[in-house]
Amino acid sequence: MSAFELFAIDFLQALVAGLLVGGTYALMCVGLGMIFGVMRVVNFAQGDFFMLGMYAAYYVATALGVMAVLGPYVGPVIAGLAAGPVVFAVGWVLHRFLVGRVTGVAAVGTEGEGHYAQIILTLGIALVLQNGGLILFGSLPLSIPTPMSRASWEIGELLVNQARTVSFGVAIVVALLLYLFLKRTPLGKSMRAAADNPEAALYMGIDVDRSHRTAFALGCGVTAIAGGLIASSQSFQPYIGFDFVITMYAGVVLGGLGSILGAFWGGMTIGLVQQMSTLVLPFQLQNTAIFVVFLLIIFLRPHGMFGRSADRT
Amino acid sequence: MLKIESLDVAYGGLRALDGVDIEVAQGQFVAVVGPNGAGKTTLFRAISGTVTPRGGSISYDGHDLLAVPAARRPHLGIAHVPEGRQVFPSMTVLENLEMGAYTEAGRRRWRDTREVVFQLFPVLQERQGQLAGTLSGGEQQMLAIGRGLASAPKLLMLDEPSMGLAPAVADTIFDRIQQIHREHGVTVLLVEQRVAEALESCDLGYVLETGRVVMQGSHDALIADERVRKAYLGL
Ligand SMILES: Nc1ncnc2c1ncn2[C@@H]1O[C@H](COP(=O)(O)OP(=O)(O)OP(=O)(O)O)[C@@H](O)[C@H]1O
Ligand SMILES: [Mg+2]
Repeated sequence: MSAFELFAIDFLQALVAGLLVGGTYALMCVGLGMIFGVMRVVNFAQGDFFMLGMYAAYYVATALGVMAVLGPYVGPVIAGLAAGPVVFAVGWVLHRFLVGRVTGVAAVGTEGEGHYAQIILTLGIALVLQNGGLILFGSLPLSIPTPMSRASWEIGELLVNQARTVSFGVAIVVALLLYLFLKRTPLGKSMRAAADNPEAALYMGIDVDRSHRTAFALGCGVTAIAGGLIASSQSFQPYIGFDFVITMYAGVVLGGLGSILGAFWGGMTIGLVQQMSTLVLPFQLQNTAIFVVFLLIIFLRPHGMFGRSADRT
Repeated sequence: MLKIESLDVAYGGLRALDGVDIEVAQGQFVAVVGPNGAGKTTLFRAISGTVTPRGGSISYDGHDLLAVPAARRPHLGIAHVPEGRQVFPSMTVLENLEMGAYTEAGRRRWRDTREVVFQLFPVLQERQGQLAGTLSGGEQQMLAIGRGLASAPKLLMLDEPSMGLAPAVADTIFDRIQQIHREHGVTVLLVEQRVAEALESCDLGYVLETGRVVMQGSHDALIADERVRKAYLGL
């Protein structure tokens, strides 16, 4: 085999790995993008909802015995999906009692002070979740034990990791369902209206605060599903949210703040860049590569790939 | 149908409405006119619940409106076509109309009202799939009115529908509003700076200046009033 053929295989291998990782990143970014898109709230706790998703999936898989019943292949997938409703409920309650007090119709348009309260609140939630996680779950790294994480399918010369492929498929389906929900259903449409213009939405009889609550909870749940899926190919501890929240923000800003579709492609791009960078850079510099590409795109297209400005028209 | 009594609204220390009394009877066309900053939009916001009055009362159709949450008020049959149109820019024309039909009555009568709206504004039918943000100003105003109608309202409130439009387009809009009132039996509350056009079609008019009603009367009485003729009609 020539050097070129070897490089071509490496390249394809990284491309496939990038796409597969990108799928789950895309889903996690969609969750964050949805919260920002509808509520215009910068949620610093999003990484910790991701972390909660990982633990929810872990406990559903192991303690609830889902893996024992459904086996080590289907079990982790179902557990990953189950993280969605669990964290959806957490998000709903947090919005009802805390987040909703500093966001919503009353806070829309208040620059300055309104936004400070939001930032401090979500930072506070992040700290509570991290340290609460440490107390509840312990600091020992865990992962969902599935044989898929170490098994691969061979396609020609390529090795395709099974756990990542399954996660990719599930993530894409969930993202697609969310897209259809927002595009087609009356509830989804009313949420888009509330995002476009909360005051006018109120004049339509849309309960904007409830739309926000739904968006917040859904955003948390969707990011948690991404976490639950990644939990079977990566080990985690209560502080893992911090690593991912930065990647998530990079993806969302890359795609264009306020655009949920943009968040999807932004997340996908991050996954691709991260994996492709291993072709030319040492493994430890993965995240550096992400930020170099991030800065480049922002330099060239300040509103992100899907260029809708964050301002409302 | 709508009865507003000694309504007071303030933004911080600034009084925007000061003891305003306005009454709209079922089936009437009522116009509120006045210069910039008179408090016309504030009046509408108070009716719709996006500002909370400091005092006074608003009763509508037997309800104490101030006790009804803002998001419930449209479901009672109040449609507010806001100043500056405020369409949903990233949604299509048809989706905007569907949002108008979010009220219970609107949903029930969606098939009929959609036809009515398309008959009034054929351009909306042609542009069904276009994003509302890309419509021209006149088309957006038509959409905003159509969206209001789609809720199958009893009371249609229009805040300066002629704002920023070419005279010919504004005339069309006024014609359509009259048509909506005459042919579809909707009670209309119109706020306007174009006093001549607004007073022309109304049964009853109010003149609002710096937060107070300074004059009120029937169409004929206002048109004949010396002060109105001087200050607003340029006669
Ligand atoms: N959100 C706000 N905060 C502070 N002051 C406000 C606010 N909205 C309106 N005002 C003030 O209240 C007064 C009445 O404003 P309003 O918008 O009701 O007038 P208007 O009659 O609708 O004027 P226009 O014809 O220009 O639309 C103005 O002095 C205005 O500056
Ligand atoms: Mg106004």
